[in-house]
Amino acid sequence: MLTPGRLHSLWNWLFHRYALETELDAEVKAFYETVVQRNMDRGHSEPEARRLARLQFDSPETAKEQVRDARPGASLSSIARDVRYSWRRISKAPVFALVTVLTLALGIGANATIFSIVSRFVLRAPPVGDPATLMALHTTHHAACCSSFSWPLFSDLEGQAKTFSSMAAYEELVPASMSGAGDPLRVWGQATTANFFDVGQFRMQLGRGFRSDEEHLPVVVLGHALWQQRFAADPLIAGKSILLSGKPFTVVGVAPAGFHGVDQILDAQFWVPLGNLDSSLSSKTANFQSRNNHWLAVIGRLNARSQPAQAAAELDVLAKRISKAHPDADWDDGFSFERAGSLPPRDRSAILLFVSALSLVALMVLGIAGANVANLFLAQAAARQREFAIRLALGATRRHLLHQMLTENIIMALGGGLVGLAFSIWATGALSTFHIPAPVPLDLTISVDSRVVIVSLFLSFATAILFGLIPAWTIVRPIIANGLKGEDQLARPGRFLSLGNILVIAQITLSVVLLCSTGLFLRSLQTASQIEIGFRSSGLLMMAVDPRLHGYSPERTTQFLNQLRERVAALPGVRSATYTDSIPLSGGNRSDGFQIVGQPALSLPSVELYMIGPAYFETIGTALISGHFFPNENPAGPKFAIINQAFAEKLFKNQNPIGQLVSDNGLTFQITGEVKNVKSRFLGEDYRPVLYRSLAQEISRDPSFAGYRIVVQFSNEPAAVAQAVRAEIHSLDPTLSIFDSQTMQEHLRDALFLPRLAGSVFGTFGALGLLLAAVGLYGVMNSWVSRRTHEMGIRLALGAHVAEVQWLIVRRGMLLTLLAIVPGLALAWAVSKLFTSVLYGIQPDDLLTFSVVPVFLASVALFACWIPARRASSVEPLDALRHE
Amino acid sequence: MGKSAELLQGTLDLLVLRTLECGPLHGVGIADRVEQVSRGVFIVGPGSLFPALHRLAENGWITGEWSETDAKRRVKTYTITASGRSRLAAEKRNWKKVFTAMNRVLAEEV
Repeated sequence: MLTPGRLHSLWNWLFHRYALETELDAEVKAFYETVVQRNMDRGHSEPEARRLARLQFDSPETAKEQVRDARPGASLSSIARDVRYSWRRISKAPVFALVTVLTLALGIGANATIFSIVSRFVLRAPPVGDPATLMALHTTHHAACCSSFSWPLFSDLEGQAKTFSSMAAYEELVPASMSGAGDPLRVWGQATTANFFDVGQFRMQLGRGFRSDEEHLPVVVLGHALWQQRFAADPLIAGKSILLSGKPFTVVGVAPAGFHGVDQILDAQFWVPLGNLDSSLSSKTANFQSRNNHWLAVIGRLNARSQPAQAAAELDVLAKRISKAHPDADWDDGFSFERAGSLPPRDRSAILLFVSALSLVALMVLGIAGANVANLFLAQAAARQREFAIRLALGATRRHLLHQMLTENIIMALGGGLVGLAFSIWATGALSTFHIPAPVPLDLTISVDSRVVIVSLFLSFATAILFGLIPAWTIVRPIIANGLKGEDQLARPGRFLSLGNILVIAQITLSVVLLCSTGLFLRSLQTASQIEIGFRSSGLLMMAVDPRLHGYSPERTTQFLNQLRERVAALPGVRSATYTDSIPLSGGNRSDGFQIVGQPALSLPSVELYMIGPAYFETIGTALISGHFFPNENPAGPKFAIINQAFAEKLFKNQNPIGQLVSDNGLTFQITGEVKNVKSRFLGEDYRPVLYRSLAQEISRDPSFAGYRIVVQFSNEPAAVAQAVRAEIHSLDPTLSIFDSQTMQEHLRDALFLPRLAGSVFGTFGALGLLLAAVGLYGVMNSWVSRRTHEMGIRLALGAHVAEVQWLIVRRGMLLTLLAIVPGLALAWAVSKLFTSVLYGIQPDDLLTFSVVPVFLASVALFACWIPARRASSVEPLDALRHE
Repeated sequence: MGKSAELLQGTLDLLVLRTLECGPLHGVGIADRVEQVSRGVFIVGPGSLFPALHRLAENGWITGEWSETDAKRRVKTYTITASGRSRLAAEKRNWKKVFTAMNRVLAEEV
């Protein structure tokens, strides 16, 4: 308790220590002198009087020490002393300190990096006001979450739900092109009901959200990044007019930095009122009448009086009422909701599993690092036995020694934590550069935030204290008997499972797990890059345009694409050119259920749909097996299609598909050719059935949402060709925005995203773990050998062969390794099951990985043991005998 | 720490305050008086006396003044303050309560 008196005395202790000490000294001296005087008065001589006084009471120094201990600053003083002493020790052994700090830093850095991912995707609160009451609503279909809302369904729900005070609907992504200064740009935004900003209680950087009377007006709220890049962060932008897809919009506000909608991954950069959508920006599916058109996301603000359970109950009732009133609607079941901005419910468990696996692996690295630190302290302690013995003899208590060692650990922990954070700032930066191939814009950047800093420092302190205390415990309990014989006081002779050995076994066990995971992911990356994709992997250049955003009709779009294709094909250095709506391996385009005409089926196989132009198969490099290309591409004539092998196998079994008719929702296609399989969505998938349609025939019925791509097969420099294609596009229409310009090699590197990410993360972790474990084994064997130099000398003197002595040491090290490999493999086998879904082309119990890793690890261990073994066997017997 | 009897935790403060209630005294004086009055049961050494004096002074219950003895020796003399007196009164009441309760408990012994 701090009373004013204690504060005053603490003040004196801090700033008037000398005066305090002088006074204490005088007071204690006066006491003793009085006692001595009295003894002399009783007739004792002065020396005798002093002796009696000492016998009677404690020594003056003890008395003073007790007063000092009772002072409020006493603990501060001992901490300061410990810190000073530890700092002196650390600066005396800088290499030891450096190795310890770096070891810790590697472990902490790994964890900080992984925790940045957790913090960003799992823990970060959505950028909404009062997140606890803002819910994201979904419709369920046959109890399966989560689908979107149709406009009438949203209106019904908004009008009837009493547990929600307000609801807003929005279309999650609307593309637009933005011209003006610089090249035209394609941007993605959201179309929202006018109350969107009020329901979410989003703070604005500048200006305001939509007013309720702006539902049908051309107004826009800009995202922070777009405002900065495109408008130079103009502070006076509110009220100005900008062009979106060629139409004027008035800017009313700017969203704050980092805000890109309720969802934390989709990267929307502008917001326009939903009511103005169909007349201004051409949207995918804007349709305010149909109950069967599910295109809206919905957020709702819970009433202050309502609990989530009440809301769920009310929604159940409303679901029954609404579906009874509209039995013809294809929505039937009910609603579900969760906090807005939380992980998408469909992927939630997969994401959590993945980040837990990553965290587990990172903690393993930290465990290995911690074991190393403990072993380093143990080795150091062995060298400091004399110091500790002297300090214990001089009256230091074990607690004093423990305190002091802990102080050293904490200083190291702080250093390790800070350096580790520096590592992870670099690593998160590197991870943020990974690009995911997805047709929609995603914000997946991660960074070190305050949560990461706190957790990392906590982890480093916990590690340092935990792994520092283990050796400290043994250090303060030296075996005195050994000390008297001049032997090592810390060694427990005859005990194979000493602390150091247990630590090493644990380390190697963990590295087996890490290395097996690493091996699996490297194998996965290797097999993934060898997967037969079914089209050219290089020599192709792609560039996308979306003429629809510039007011082109479907006919004009076809005409434009054909013109462009002919001009580009005539360019020097271009072998062939074509156009399509989507490049394979982009994470999925459109798909639909197909059946053979005249053979109705209960379940329609889902078929991937591509719209293609002339020379598509030559350009992209997919071989035609039988049949031929579309005989004509007349939009009004009968529709033609080309299918792949998987389609033919799935629908036609052994029949010849050429000339057959297939249908999709009553629309009939005649098959004119069959091509080889391609990987359509992801590298890891089995070949899916694919159907290629003529873009010219299908564009007006089923326009692409993500624009159209011109694909060019080039023979020399891609940069020059890209420049020329760009020029051709702009010579046809200078206002068109060009996006997704990349070569096929770049595209495939993106498609390898997951195996590459996992490969780099695990490659790094595996290498770290192996390095740390090898150093740990070396350290333990080394200190074991140096303790036994004497014994080795005697063995050699008695006629042992060098090889025998070496074998003695290596055998011990290899025994430790074997003891670790067996449980390690079992553990690794269990852990690898977690990775099943993210491995490409190999099984988690991959034989090659599980047989190479132990052999590899054993050879590294052999090397780590061999170095000290060689040193031990090169001891001169005579030197060793004179060792004492 | 008494050599003849273990002092109960906190009772040293009570003893010192009680001793100073009769008039200002220096360190040895306090120790002597406690020993005398308790008929040699409590012997207070400097190792426990000085921390207690510092603690009491910090709480403002006593104040110390340097003065000269008859033998021309400089000593620090302690005086009880007003708040020290009220503290003492409270401590006395408390002690009586504990004392009576302890006696009752011990008398119950069969």
